[in-house]
Amino acid sequence: MKPLASDRAFLILLAAVLAVVLLLVISIATPFGLSAYLANVIGQLAAFAVLALSLDLIWGYLGILSLGHGLFFGIGGYVVAMHLLKHSHEVTGKVPDFMQFMGWAEFPFYWTGFGFFPYALLVTAVVTLLISGVFGYVSFRSRVGGVYFAITTQALVYVAMLLMFRNDTGFGGNNGMTGFTVVFGWPIGGSRVVIAMAAVSVLMLGLTLLGCRMLLAGRFGVLMIAARDDEVRLRTLGYETLRLKLVVWCLSALIAALAGMLYVPQVGIINPRLLAPELSLEIAVWVAIGGRGHLVGAVIGAVLVNAVKFWLSVAAPELWPFILSGLIVLVVLVFPNGLVDLAKLKLVRPTGLKHMASGTPELR
Amino acid sequence: MAIQRCSQARSIQSLWLTGDWFGRLSARKGRQRSVHMMRRVFIAAILFVAVWAPSLLVAAEAGRADLMGKLCGDAASLGDVGRALVGIAADGSQDERAWATPVARAVIDRKLTCDTKGAVVISGEGSFDALTREQRVAVEGGRSPFLNLKNRALFETAVAALALRTAPDPTQRGAALRTLERQAAGLPEHLFEAAAEQESDAGLRAQMTAVAQAAALNSADPAKRIGALKRISATPDRRALTQVRALVADPAYAGDPEFKRAVDAAIATIERGITAGDVLAALYNGLSFASILFMAAIGLAVIFGLMGVINLAQGEMIMIGAYVTWMVQEGLRRLAPALLDWYLIIAIPAAFLVTAAVGIALEAILLRHLYRRPLMSLLATWAVSLFLINLVRVTFGTQNLNFVTPFYVAGGVPVIGDFIFTWNRMFAIAFAVLTLGITWGLMRLTPLGLNIRAVTQNRTMAGCIGIPVRRVDTMAFGLGSGLAGLAGLALAPIYSVNPQMGQNFIIDSFMVVVLGGVGTIVGTVVAALGIGQINVLIEPMWGAVAAKVIVLMMIIAFLQWRPEGLFAIKGRRK
Amino acid sequence: MSTFSRRSFLQATGVAAAGLASPIGMPAIVRSAHAASGTVKLGCLFSSSGTMANIEGRLNHVVRMAADEINAKGGVNGRTIEVAVSDPASDWPLYAQVGKQMLEQDKVAALFGCWTSVSRKSVLPVVEQANGLLFYPLHFEGDENSKNIVYVNSPPASSVLPAVDYLMGEEGVSAKRFFMLGSDYVWPRTINKQLKGYWKSKGIPETAWREEYVPLGFSNFQTLVNQIRAFADKGGGKPIVVLTVVGSSIPDFLREFANQGIKATDVPVLGLDMVEADLEGLNTEPLVGHLNCWAYLQNAKSAANATFLKQWAEYVKAKNVPFKGDVVIDPMVSAYNSVHLWAMAAAKANSFDVLEVRKAFAGLSFDCPSGYKLGMTAENNYVSRGVFIGSVNEKQGFDILWQSKDAPKPVPFSPYG
Repeated sequence: MKPLASDRAFLILLAAVLAVVLLLVISIATPFGLSAYLANVIGQLAAFAVLALSLDLIWGYLGILSLGHGLFFGIGGYVVAMHLLKHSHEVTGKVPDFMQFMGWAEFPFYWTGFGFFPYALLVTAVVTLLISGVFGYVSFRSRVGGVYFAITTQALVYVAMLLMFRNDTGFGGNNGMTGFTVVFGWPIGGSRVVIAMAAVSVLMLGLTLLGCRMLLAGRFGVLMIAARDDEVRLRTLGYETLRLKLVVWCLSALIAALAGMLYVPQVGIINPRLLAPELSLEIAVWVAIGGRGHLVGAVIGAVLVNAVKFWLSVAAPELWPFILSGLIVLVVLVFPNGLVDLAKLKLVRPTGLKHMASGTPELR
Repeated sequence: MAIQRCSQARSIQSLWLTGDWFGRLSARKGRQRSVHMMRRVFIAAILFVAVWAPSLLVAAEAGRADLMGKLCGDAASLGDVGRALVGIAADGSQDERAWATPVARAVIDRKLTCDTKGAVVISGEGSFDALTREQRVAVEGGRSPFLNLKNRALFETAVAALALRTAPDPTQRGAALRTLERQAAGLPEHLFEAAAEQESDAGLRAQMTAVAQAAALNSADPAKRIGALKRISATPDRRALTQVRALVADPAYAGDPEFKRAVDAAIATIERGITAGDVLAALYNGLSFASILFMAAIGLAVIFGLMGVINLAQGEMIMIGAYVTWMVQEGLRRLAPALLDWYLIIAIPAAFLVTAAVGIALEAILLRHLYRRPLMSLLATWAVSLFLINLVRVTFGTQNLNFVTPFYVAGGVPVIGDFIFTWNRMFAIAFAVLTLGITWGLMRLTPLGLNIRAVTQNRTMAGCIGIPVRRVDTMAFGLGSGLAGLAGLALAPIYSVNPQMGQNFIIDSFMVVVLGGVGTIVGTVVAALGIGQINVLIEPMWGAVAAKVIVLMMIIAFLQWRPEGLFAIKGRRK
Repeated sequence: MSTFSRRSFLQATGVAAAGLASPIGMPAIVRSAHAASGTVKLGCLFSSSGTMANIEGRLNHVVRMAADEINAKGGVNGRTIEVAVSDPASDWPLYAQVGKQMLEQDKVAALFGCWTSVSRKSVLPVVEQANGLLFYPLHFEGDENSKNIVYVNSPPASSVLPAVDYLMGEEGVSAKRFFMLGSDYVWPRTINKQLKGYWKSKGIPETAWREEYVPLGFSNFQTLVNQIRAFADKGGGKPIVVLTVVGSSIPDFLREFANQGIKATDVPVLGLDMVEADLEGLNTEPLVGHLNCWAYLQNAKSAANATFLKQWAEYVKAKNVPFKGDVVIDPMVSAYNSVHLWAMAAAKANSFDVLEVRKAFAGLSFDCPSGYKLGMTAENNYVSRGVFIGSVNEKQGFDILWQSKDAPKPVPFSPYG
């Protein structure tokens, strides 16, 4: 199909990402470059960008809106937190807080083995695939779509949040889990480690971008867009949409879990707030603002919105909700394709097939 | 004081006359001399008593002064006073009771001030000295005695006991009896008997005798005990069960077969009553939760059914309704304080119209442009919800609003077993039924309702036959929002009202709508009832969170199997 | 094909990288231009939105009021205090985020913040790593002793146990059975754990208590109050409710309790997180007699309290603060104390460096509005406070039922589990 080099915006973004990685590597090795604080923020933004990409994959290109991607984000986050706590415990011998106030003398049985990172990685993949697979299969087979699917995913993430809020569940409850001291043997607070983690995040962002691009550039991408535009027609043509949707859904879930694994070590705490329905809604907002149906849009939307949020929570905390709501209404009414609409005439040519540029038909 | 002397004199005079009559009576037996002697003896006795009586009075007054002193003492002495007051209610003279009643009342109401000269009671007739009954004002620096929990209980009992004997109004006496009933075993038995003796109202007298019987549970007479058992099992609750169960350890249980039979029968009756109460309580709680869910969801059902718009701002409409109710209350407080208790009723049209107006504005400005794009409208309504929450927060502040609890939603009525019928939830249930009635009436009997149903079933066709679809959209959105406003009004007496309150209802109301079947009122009702009841049944077993989780998982599973919900309008499944 | 060139590549990369970094970097630059020399910054971590907003929001204003008071007397070490307020929005990770930003970007000399133990535990690693100082104004569960946190309010030994002891004693209600109802997070769980250990040490059997947890923000207490009534009616001794729910759950619970006709003389409730602000929306007549336990109550009789109440009322009017000027709660007073304690320590150490300030804590003493003299020792960062047991009155306030003779020495780690 089209050679990669033809899409200017995508390449610019990729280049920017690589540049940031380079900058961060320089910051580790030399005294010049970014401070640990800035690097940390960039790393978190990168994790959010990966999360936005995962939603964009199924929403922008497949037309399925999930308002519960926070669930998979949370799965990745919790598993990596379990690993970090177990690892810290093995290295320093300190018992995690939540066990202390629950009065447990040792870790619950389902915590065994998490000190070993590949095992944690495996568990993430398995649990994510299991949940997304079962849920996706049952929903897509019943032809649940559109608004119903969105609300059901909201309910799902809400249930997960309620479960995780309970201290009896054994994952720190409302307190969450904090007190990570060691990551892969290095102290988690050290500025070099912080910058290195940020570099890893941004690198993963770049890799995810490339991966998604490659997926979309091929036949798969064409099928996805066809399914988004008119699924009935595609089925009439003889394609099995269930398998297509399921595969992309599971892939999207895995990417979201990856984002969670990148986010939690950098922020130093995980807690069920991550599973709040509002946060999952916000992911959709990032993608909508940036421009769904464009990988670049998703990344820019996530980075922009979160950067403004970070800035405003300290500078003008009262203003943030108003700005966010105003932005959403603006995007929804005036720029239905997000910021991409703004730049339509300038640098950016939309990815994928040409006819996408003119108003993508919305789902009914 | 003078009055007492006067009455004393009168009583001595009457005694004298009685003595005279007595003498004359015995004169009939014919001996003048013995009459004279008897009269003398009688008068001597009277004089003896007349000398002794003032000292009794003085002693009584000294007792009262002593009580006053203790009243202004520390916690232990206050306890003594409390117990003494109960004693006065049971054994004291009418005078003493008349004196004690306002004092006890004043201590509870914090209208008694202890100062250097004694104690002052402030009542409706002004302030007067507690001991001498003279009018005087409290000296500067006085303080009210503070009741700790133990003493408070004693004084509350004393107030009730005194009211039982002295209150002029039978309803007050009845209320006092109900208060005392619960602690009957700890009170002097003859309190109830004495009260029953002087009681004029027949019904009350019967009740008092019954309570006296119930208090006799531990008396020596086995017949009385069995009577007490029967009486106690007539009002079954867990407290009674504990009392009766304790008797199993009593020696009479093993010894007296009749007593054993009575105790067993009582236990069985009480347990039955408790079970009945528990079942009723579960049903009532379920019904009340369901009514709340229904009211939150009905507006959403109308909007979603009609336009396919998921209105994430529905919770905020509920919140606005509650805030409008509060503003009506504040308005009434300033302009017409006499009507303050009726603010809930007066606010009904206000809540409906204001939220309907907000809904219509929302639809006209925002959603109109998005009606073919349900997912975008979802995001847009979420933005509006965020905006509304923060607007209200900035305008009114984050604190919970202060609502007056009108008499018709305060307290509760014990029915059977441990089941208490609380009025505020009854109000919510009644309101939900009213809302259901109005909505159903609207949908079935008005042209607007007909249009709404038509557009819900087939939008394009309805447009083709000339129904003004856009206008129906706007009106329906207004209706849906107005219903949410009414929900906010009904919830004000039950939940805390703050800018965040709407968030608690969103997920639940969506589940009700989607489960019930989009666009049908029946579906919403059934779904609300089902969810409410199941939730309430699971809650005592595994806790509130587990109940919510289980219910949500059940709904999600159900929707995967049957996505159109319980009562769906037939249509093509895409 | 593409008009892609190396130049445009470099240009675009530079722009993109700058664009990514600017929203973060720019405000810092802007801010540092503003921050005049001659000021010292203090940071606040109290939410003004979310579930905690109603109670935490007031504390921002109190810190500002205390700062104004100190500035009026010439500031600290010749510098005026500037208070930076934030809004972590009741979102625990955001407390950590904002705290980090304040410490590392804005270089605040000290942080004043957190109400729930969750938020404090989120900020703990941040202050420890950045070597900052957090003044924590709430009574809490103890079992913690970080050198970067100043615990301005009481651990359970001086906030929970005196009240429970009172209720279990002759003067109280001789309580023998306990229904523990709490929000599901670390503070209630720890408190209940310690209480169970305490009761076990007194020989009270396990059947005498019951534990139930509800999620934060829970409001539908119908079934739970039914359960409390059933528990109370079972007999075996006087029952009490140990209430560790927080936030808006408190008034919701009390309302349901009153509606079902239960009075404090039947089943008293010891509301460990209950403050005057929680009674604001309630009709407290049927609730008279329920208890709480804090290091300060509004009805405390002392000259310092009268001054403080007047000061707060005037401040509310002057600055149009969106909270009631006639309601003052313990955490407000604790926040006020914190600012003064910090100022005194900084003045004593003649420096704003955290290590120096910490060394200066030893031997500090301050007249708290509660009427007690606060003290700090070199042993730890705990502040000794007086103890009040309050009883709900008809006017939505608390009467002083009992108060300690002096400020007992705080015990960081509970011996009861």
